[in-house]
Amino acid sequence: MTGVELIAAARAQSRAALDELAGKQLLAGFGVKVPRSVIVSNAGAAATAVAGLTPPLAVKVMSPDILHKSDAGGVKIGLQSAHEVGQAINAMAILPAIKAARIDGYLIEEMAPAGQEIVVGSVRDPDFGPLIMVGLGGIFVEVLADVAFRICPITRLDAEEMLAELKGAALLKGARGRKPVSRDAIVDVLLKIGGDDGLLMRHVDDFTEADINPLIVSETGAVAVDARFILA
Amino acid sequence: MLERYAPLFMPKTVAVVGASSKGNALPNVFIRRIREYGFAGEIYPIHPTAPTIDGLTAYPSLAATPKPVDYAYIAVSGAQIPDMLKVAAGRVRYAQVVSSGFGEVDEGKDLQQRLLEAARAGGMRLLGPNCLGIYTPRGRITFTEISPTEVGTVGVISQSGGLGTDIIRRGLSRGVKFSGLVTVGNCADVTPSDLLEFYLADDQTKVIGFYIETAKDGRHLFEMLRAAKAKKPVVILKGGRTGQGLAAAASHTGSLAGDDRAWIALSRQTGCVLVDTLDQFIDTLLIFQTLTPQPQHPTTRVVLFGNGGGTSVLATDCFARLGLDVAPFAQPALDALAALKLPPGTSITNPVDCPVSTLQQENGSVAEKILDEIYSKGKPEALVMHLNMSAFAGRTPPEVIENVLKAALRVQTHYPGQAHFLLVLRSDGDPELEARKRTFRDSALALGIPVYDEMSNAGQALAALQAHERFLHTRGG
Repeated sequence: MTGVELIAAARAQSRAALDELAGKQLLAGFGVKVPRSVIVSNAGAAATAVAGLTPPLAVKVMSPDILHKSDAGGVKIGLQSAHEVGQAINAMAILPAIKAARIDGYLIEEMAPAGQEIVVGSVRDPDFGPLIMVGLGGIFVEVLADVAFRICPITRLDAEEMLAELKGAALLKGARGRKPVSRDAIVDVLLKIGGDDGLLMRHVDDFTEADINPLIVSETGAVAVDARFILA
Repeated sequence: MLERYAPLFMPKTVAVVGASSKGNALPNVFIRRIREYGFAGEIYPIHPTAPTIDGLTAYPSLAATPKPVDYAYIAVSGAQIPDMLKVAAGRVRYAQVVSSGFGEVDEGKDLQQRLLEAARAGGMRLLGPNCLGIYTPRGRITFTEISPTEVGTVGVISQSGGLGTDIIRRGLSRGVKFSGLVTVGNCADVTPSDLLEFYLADDQTKVIGFYIETAKDGRHLFEMLRAAKAKKPVVILKGGRTGQGLAAAASHTGSLAGDDRAWIALSRQTGCVLVDTLDQFIDTLLIFQTLTPQPQHPTTRVVLFGNGGGTSVLATDCFARLGLDVAPFAQPALDALAALKLPPGTSITNPVDCPVSTLQQENGSVAEKILDEIYSKGKPEALVMHLNMSAFAGRTPPEVIENVLKAALRVQTHYPGQAHFLLVLRSDGDPELEARKRTFRDSALALGIPVYDEMSNAGQALAALQAHERFLHTRGG
């Protein structure tokens, strides 16, 4: 489906947000790398569905009623086989928070290689239109609010200056014995989201807020592991 | 484009609606002010019955004036204004509505819409409503009691009328000279970005200042500022920079996006300088008015020179926090300064701290020798000279400070364009010192030297200049 169709479908169902799969399809349409995935309705379907995927795998519950999947017990990672995936789905299905919710299915994904967690987000400012944000993941964004904003559309120089502005910028270069991560890959994602012909400029009126959290960035590339688009 | 704004900044005919035949209403005051201020065009008081107002022939409506009206000043109860504009369709270029009770209150929103429609239908631009007006020295129109006549180079747009008055008055006492100041009120029609368009194109305007509470057309403002690439410095004093709407945020990003974020982003992307206080606003406008940005070599190395050890140390800290480098001199400059054999108590490393006992050598002209070595060997990009006038008082003949200043000015002429020169005249509020300071300030300003009250003011202004230079360096042209 195109972005316009994904948004129309979510609106037709009176959803407040794109579900994770739709969000990732939207991102993929703008050239942002997302994990390979399938969606199944129950554990029984998992066995054949995962045949084309390479472990380790992650399973996530898909529900319009569950905002924070991890808190509800709806995320399981590091699964090595179809059998483990099936077990994980069965275990989730009986959890109270999941049992009580409308379930669209279970998203089974290949896991991204390890790397630095980055958050890319957006919020629509009433005066200036879409803003794009970048920050380092985890405590950097949640506790320290170490983030940089720009008004869209951004240029490559804007994107580079956003990264330079982060207090934790040194981590991207591989501080404390870690491997450096690809700044170019982050800049590339920022431009695909917030650039001249990027997602936010093409969907100016569609979203009030968006989060790609995390975007996992390695030495060579970046993968959007979770995505959330709040419909306007 | 400039032509479109000429009737606002240089009107030839002014109509005044709301003046009373008894001569004491606000519009009467406006008539008196612009006449005193030297407005040379025709003034048409508008009054339903009175034949004359303040000795001027009055006309019953905006449609009845002898010539079309460039600028109409309107201060009557709001409800009657839309009809008043309707009958004058095609005869008024700018209608400035002082009256309130429009879009700034819920029950006035419809009335504002009707006002706007009447103005548009009549081919007029509407300034306000709820707007004090314009100060334009080149057109000799003003809304404040104290209005300098000199046409300067700083163009200001203010969303607050009261603050607009403060900006003119404080600007005057600190040496800022305006090409215009427009208060925009509710911005029903003419918006800050319209006026930005004018100031960017206006040859008289070198520096642009904004006081903004809400960007009415933020998107347009952003796009214009970005396209301008900081070709003229733009200083923004933003009111209401606290976060709002955070409670409703449904994502991480939403909860992290205070109001402030968009304005900080704007300044980074367009090279505008964002300031927090009225004082910083004036200080920053002043530095851009007086000094020419050097994008080829953005200001980094700063030399501090003056009297006061503690002041030098505090200033070094302050400048460092602002990203300005007050690093000690390299050996050649140190050797040259040491060779001057200045009295004990003088520190020559940068900051260069010369007590009064040093500065009074040769009746003050020793400063020329010191500064000459600093310029030739220290190679600063900016030199801040600070004089604590209190420390001179009673200890030196009155001409010593003057001689130090003259020496500094002579050195400027020997090294033209090498370094930005700023003067800090520190005083303690003593009336006699303040009076002398004012004299020094005026003569320095006349030579294009910005003068500040304290080192932190100078530092903040210099950091703003640095930010502008760096933006031009990486993104200019």
